[in-house]
Amino acid sequence: MIAKPIVLGLGLAALALGSPTLAAPAPLPAPYKGVYQPQGVDEIGMWREDDESERRLAASPLVLRDEKLTSYVKGVLCEAVGNDRCNAARVYILREPSFNATMSPNGTMRVYTGLLLRVRSEAELAAVLGHEFGHFEHRHGVNGFKSARGATDVLAWAQVLASMSSSYDVRRSYQNLELSVYGSFFRYKRDQEREADLTGLGYLNASQLQPQAASAVWKNLMGEAEASARVRGLKKPNFNAIAFTASHPPDGERATYLSELALPEGASRGDGADRYRAALKPWLPQFLEEQIKLNDFGGSDYLIERLAEDGWTPELWFARGELFRTRGNQRDLANAADFYTKAIEANSNLAPAYRGLGLSLLKLGRTADGQKALRTYLQLSPAASDAGMIKLMVPGGTAQ
Amino acid sequence: MNRQIAISLAAVLALSASEVSYAHSLKKQGEAVQVADSNMTVTPSRDWNRLSGKVGKQTESWTLDGEQLNDVTFFGGIEPGKPLVKERSKKHDPLPKFTETTLLVEVPELLEGTYRTYKELAAFTLGASAPAKFLGRDGVRFAYEFTDRDGLTRKGEAYAVIVDKRLYMTAFDAPRLYYYDRAIAEFRALTDSARL
Repeated sequence: MIAKPIVLGLGLAALALGSPTLAAPAPLPAPYKGVYQPQGVDEIGMWREDDESERRLAASPLVLRDEKLTSYVKGVLCEAVGNDRCNAARVYILREPSFNATMSPNGTMRVYTGLLLRVRSEAELAAVLGHEFGHFEHRHGVNGFKSARGATDVLAWAQVLASMSSSYDVRRSYQNLELSVYGSFFRYKRDQEREADLTGLGYLNASQLQPQAASAVWKNLMGEAEASARVRGLKKPNFNAIAFTASHPPDGERATYLSELALPEGASRGDGADRYRAALKPWLPQFLEEQIKLNDFGGSDYLIERLAEDGWTPELWFARGELFRTRGNQRDLANAADFYTKAIEANSNLAPAYRGLGLSLLKLGRTADGQKALRTYLQLSPAASDAGMIKLMVPGGTAQ
Repeated sequence: MNRQIAISLAAVLALSASEVSYAHSLKKQGEAVQVADSNMTVTPSRDWNRLSGKVGKQTESWTLDGEQLNDVTFFGGIEPGKPLVKERSKKHDPLPKFTETTLLVEVPELLEGTYRTYKELAAFTLGASAPAKFLGRDGVRFAYEFTDRDGLTRKGEAYAVIVDKRLYMTAFDAPRLYYYDRAIAEFRALTDSARL
C-alpha cells in the first residue's frame, strides 16, 4: 500500500481520495441533524418508490417474524449509532442466506439472515449496521442515483455526437470516454463505500463496543472465501485487486484501514459476544441448515469451525455431520457418522442426529447399526415428516 | 432494391423457420409422448404446453398457464454424479449431485439443496414425504414450499424413483395461492400416466 505524502485534515477526505493509510482513528460522528425530509424531485421520487417497496416488504413472507430477534438487532444498531439516530431506522430481518445488509433512503434497514450467521458479536454486527447507517446519513442512495444518471447522460449525448461523425477516430474517442466515465462512476461508488466505512467506524469508536470488530468482519469473510475456493479447487481469491466494475473496495484494503481507524483504547471494551450468542441461539440451527444446503462445503465448514471456537455444541456437531453426509464421499460418510455420534453423546435426545447417523451407517455398509439408529430416530420423533420412508428401511417397518 | 427486399425476407423466413424447433409446443390430450430425452412417456389427460427452454440435460418443463404459475418438470433418468439441473458454473456455483449412494429418502434433500443453491434461497421447507408408486415401482412422494426472490410463496410436490441407478422424477410447483390447488390434480394425473 502506498502512503500519500499529504494527509488531509480529516480521514474522510483522504479516504475519498482513495488513500486508506491513516494514522488517526475515525472521527466522532457530527451531531445528528434529526429526521430529514426528501429534497428535490429526485429524492422525493426515490422516497416514494422506497415507501412502496417497504410496504411490500412489511407484508413479505421473506421477513423473519421474530419480534424478539428483530428488536435485539435494532438494539445493537442503537447501541452503535446512538438512540437519536436509530429512531430513523426500521429494521427487517430477511431470510436470505448471503452476507448482506442494506439501508435505503427512507430508513428501511434490511438485515439478511446470512449476515447474522456470519458475525459473531454485537460489535461485529454493529460495525456492519453502522456502515449501512452511514450510507443513509450521507444520503448515498440519491447521490449514487444522480451520479449514475449523470454518467449515462454524458454517454448518451456523446454517442449521439459520435454517430454523427463517420470518422473512426471519433468513435474510438467515444469508446475511451465510455471507459473513463464508467471507471469514474464505479470509483465514485467505491468512495461512497469507504465513506460509509469511516462513518460506521466513527459510530463504533464513540460507542461502548469494541471498534476493532469492524476489521474482524472482513478478515472472517476473507477466511470463508478462501476456504470455499480451496475446496472447490479454485485459485486463492485476490483480496487486494479492484475489478474495473467493483462497487466496493477490496476486502483486504477494508480490513487494513478499518483496523487502523479503530480507536486503540477501544480494544479493551467488550464486544458483546456472549449476548449475541444468546440472542441467536434459537435460530442458529436453522441458519446453519440453510447454509449447509447451499452446497458450499469449504465455506460452510469454515463457518461451523469458527462458531465452534467457543465450544462444540450438539447443534454444531450435527450441522457438521449434515455437511459431510450431503457431500457424501465414503470418507465423508465415515466422518459424518463420527460427528453425529458426538452430537448424540452431548445430547441423547437430538432426533435428527440419529437419522443422519443411521443413513450414513447404512451407506457405509453397517446395516444393523444404521437400522438401530433409525429405530431410535423413529422412537424419538414418531411423527417425523419422513417417518413413512424411514420405516421402510427398518425391518418390521414400525417404530417399535 | 426488390432483390434486396427478397433477400431480407428470405433471411427472416429462414430465421423464423429455424426458431420453430425452439418454440413452445402443444402436448395434446390422450397422446402418449416421450419426455426429457428419456424412455419415460406420459399421456396427458388434457392439453399442456411444453416450454422450449430446458433447465438441465435430461429435463423438460410443461405448464398450463406459464412457467412461473404452474411448472411441471420431468427429470428423465439423471445419471450418478450429475446435478438435477444445469450448473451455471461447475467451478464457482456447483450444485449438489445425485450419486450412486443417494437413498430414496435423501431425494427430497437433493431437490431442496438444488433449489436453495440455484436460487440462493433461505426460505425453503420440506414437507411430508411418504412411500408412493411411481413408474410402477416403489418410490417417494414429497411436498415442499419455498419463497422465491419475487416474494411469492410456491408450493410443490414431487414423485421420484431410482431405476437402474438413475433418478426419475416429476416435480410440480406453483404459487400457493390459487394456482397450486388449481393444477395439482392435473399434475398427479400426468404423473400417474408416466411409464418407463
